[in-house]
Amino acid sequence: MKTFSYTVKDEVGIHARPAGLLAKKAKEFQSTITLEKDGKSAAATKLMAIMGMGVKCGDTVNITVEGADEDTAAAAMEEFFKTNL
Amino acid sequence: MKDRVFGVLQRVGRSFMLPIALLPVAGLLLGIGSSFTNPTTIETYNLGGIIYEGGVLYTVLDIMSRTGSAVFDNLALLFAMGVAIGMAKKEKEVAALSGAIAYLVMNTAISVLIMANGGVEAMAANSTTSVLGITTLQMGVFGGIIVGLGVAALHNKFYNIELPQVLAFFGGTRFVPIVCTVVYLIVGIIMFFLWPFVQLGISKLGTLVLNSGYAGTWIYGTLERALIPFGLHHVFYMPFWQTELGGSMIIDGNVVTGAQNIFFAELASKSTDVFSVSATRFMSGKFPFMIFGLPAAAFAMYRAARHEKKKVVGGLLMSAALTSMLTGITEPLEFTFIFVAPLMYAVHCVLAGLSYMIMHIFNVGVGMTFSGGAIDLTLFGILQGNHKTNWIWIVIVGLIYAVVYYFVFYFMITKMNLGTPGREADDIEPKLYRRSDVEAAKSDKSSGGASDIVSALILKGLGGKGNLSDVDCCATRLRITVIDVEKVADSLLKQSGASGVIRKGNGVQVIYGPRVSVIKSNLETFIDSPQSDDPDSVLGDSEKHTEEDRKREQSAPSSSTANIVMYSHLNGIVVMLEDVEDEVFSQKILGEGIAVEPTEGKLYAPCDGRVDSVFDTKHAINILSAEGAEVLLHIGIDTVKLGGKHFEAHVSDGQEIKKGDLLISFDIEAIKAEGCKVTTPLIISNTDEYSSITSAAQGKVLAGDEIIKIN
Repeated sequence: MKTFSYTVKDEVGIHARPAGLLAKKAKEFQSTITLEKDGKSAAATKLMAIMGMGVKCGDTVNITVEGADEDTAAAAMEEFFKTNL
Repeated sequence: MKDRVFGVLQRVGRSFMLPIALLPVAGLLLGIGSSFTNPTTIETYNLGGIIYEGGVLYTVLDIMSRTGSAVFDNLALLFAMGVAIGMAKKEKEVAALSGAIAYLVMNTAISVLIMANGGVEAMAANSTTSVLGITTLQMGVFGGIIVGLGVAALHNKFYNIELPQVLAFFGGTRFVPIVCTVVYLIVGIIMFFLWPFVQLGISKLGTLVLNSGYAGTWIYGTLERALIPFGLHHVFYMPFWQTELGGSMIIDGNVVTGAQNIFFAELASKSTDVFSVSATRFMSGKFPFMIFGLPAAAFAMYRAARHEKKKVVGGLLMSAALTSMLTGITEPLEFTFIFVAPLMYAVHCVLAGLSYMIMHIFNVGVGMTFSGGAIDLTLFGILQGNHKTNWIWIVIVGLIYAVVYYFVFYFMITKMNLGTPGREADDIEPKLYRRSDVEAAKSDKSSGGASDIVSALILKGLGGKGNLSDVDCCATRLRITVIDVEKVADSLLKQSGASGVIRKGNGVQVIYGPRVSVIKSNLETFIDSPQSDDPDSVLGDSEKHTEEDRKREQSAPSSSTANIVMYSHLNGIVVMLEDVEDEVFSQKILGEGIAVEPTEGKLYAPCDGRVDSVFDTKHAINILSAEGAEVLLHIGIDTVKLGGKHFEAHVSDGQEIKKGDLLISFDIEAIKAEGCKVTTPLIISNTDEYSSITSAAQGKVLAGDEIIKIN
């Protein structure tokens, strides 16, 4: 299992567009990717759940990656957050 | 019922605009003219040298004052005619004539009864007035409004009456003034007996005011405002201004009674150190809301107006605000919202009352000749010196009032979607889709015949000639009142080139855009032609085509084998997801779905279910449908950047909803003005869980029409 956390810098937070891109990215991997913020968690592939977390600018999200390709997946996800959020 | 009452009020409000447009000018004439011909003003400022009776300047000012007051004195007549014109469905000029006649008849009937009962002396003080030389009851604008409404009702009922052959000459529109005369003769008699009771109740309230200190001042101020539309404020405040009800005082050895008399006696007296607040408490409260509050309210209305209407309403509102500010004549402004937004007027009354009370508490002693504008403030406040009048509090409180009025009014208008000037919902989207069949029909026939086909389609779509009760149009819509709304066929109307059809009770609005006036006159010509009895004869082939369309539309739902159906979330035009100008949607990154280009800023639930989350920015909402579909509704493209502006959510997270519930309302024009598109995709965000998602609609849709099927 790999974990990392990321503080969102995009001023409008994780709204529809980044959530869509995030879910698309997460689906590329076999590993289960989970987002967690303030006790609320969501599978990164579940678009509605991600949007439902209501992540805003300045919020810190903890990301857990678990599965066969967790190393690649975690690196890719971290890269995704940095470039998109 | 509620819709109908609202509709009537809207029309009354609109019909006021004609006379109201005149008031600012009349107000300025009256305000400036009367201030400088007032003997007290002339005396106090030693203007006697240049302004004296018989002199040129005095005469000019006097003409201004009197012509201005000619308008105000006859306001009731203007409203009697103006409302009749506005409310009449056809032959409006006859309604105007009838309104004038009915008003004269009603007042004359009252006048005769007053004489028969012992003349004006036998009536309660201040309860009578002279209108157009007729001594009658003081009913103010209210008298004109009951005439206008009644006449319009009679007119709409009788303007096309057919009388027996012998009396045929008196039929049709000629019958209207006749019936109005008879009815308002009776109304006049009834009012003579009824109105004094209303007046009596008001003067009883006066006694209450006097016995309750600061609270009394508040009640006084609130009532004075609340009575304005009924013309009863004179009955109410005059006793305070002119009789011992407003107090009595010995000034320079003379007994002076009445608040206004006391103030002017003190003004004339050399021995006045401080003006008596016990008198001015019935006057000073006008200044803060007239100079500061109401103009701020006008600004709020301007800000809340639709973008493209701002120029037009700006002129009206600014001149009305200036009149209020300068002369303290507030009717031009107040009548712009009193009928379209009565609740706003109620708030205004309460705030006005508070203004009186605050002035009382701060011992502000500024009087006035007749109202609380900047002219009177300058003459009777500022120039008297703060030590005598405490006028500075008017400015301090006034500035606070400006802020309060602005925010309260702006909030009320936008949150409650009140129809203040410039917000009337008569604008639409530019047409995005062509009705190819109509275009084809047009090119087939010569240009002359084309409009007939359109008219025939419209007429058939409206259920035929016999189904029409009233045809009118505004800037972009055909507004029709039909007898049986069931007979209206939206598909035919859309075939005729309409971009939308809206129904409210028996009212149908067909949206065509600016060319509607031509469509309307063509339709009217067509209705008058013999062909209109059988529109099918004109339609020929294109009509058959339409029938096929309808059959296809009707058969579509029954052949459906979908597990889950989503219904359109808006009124508008279907846009395929691939065509949405945002790759997140068009490349289906968020999932399959469909989009609608809305023609109305209202987002409805596409299915039964539960609100999963409303975005903080209120431009999007996630819904978990009862069947488990995860639905994202996203209003507009890039609208996240608006940060919630122009959106209002009506539901919250976790709330259970039914198909068709209003979820979010939004201001299409304002959003477009910010440079965003309003195309609104409906996305199934758990698309992966289904085998197919197909669109079930194209072209125009109404909220609640089937839009996609999910298997």
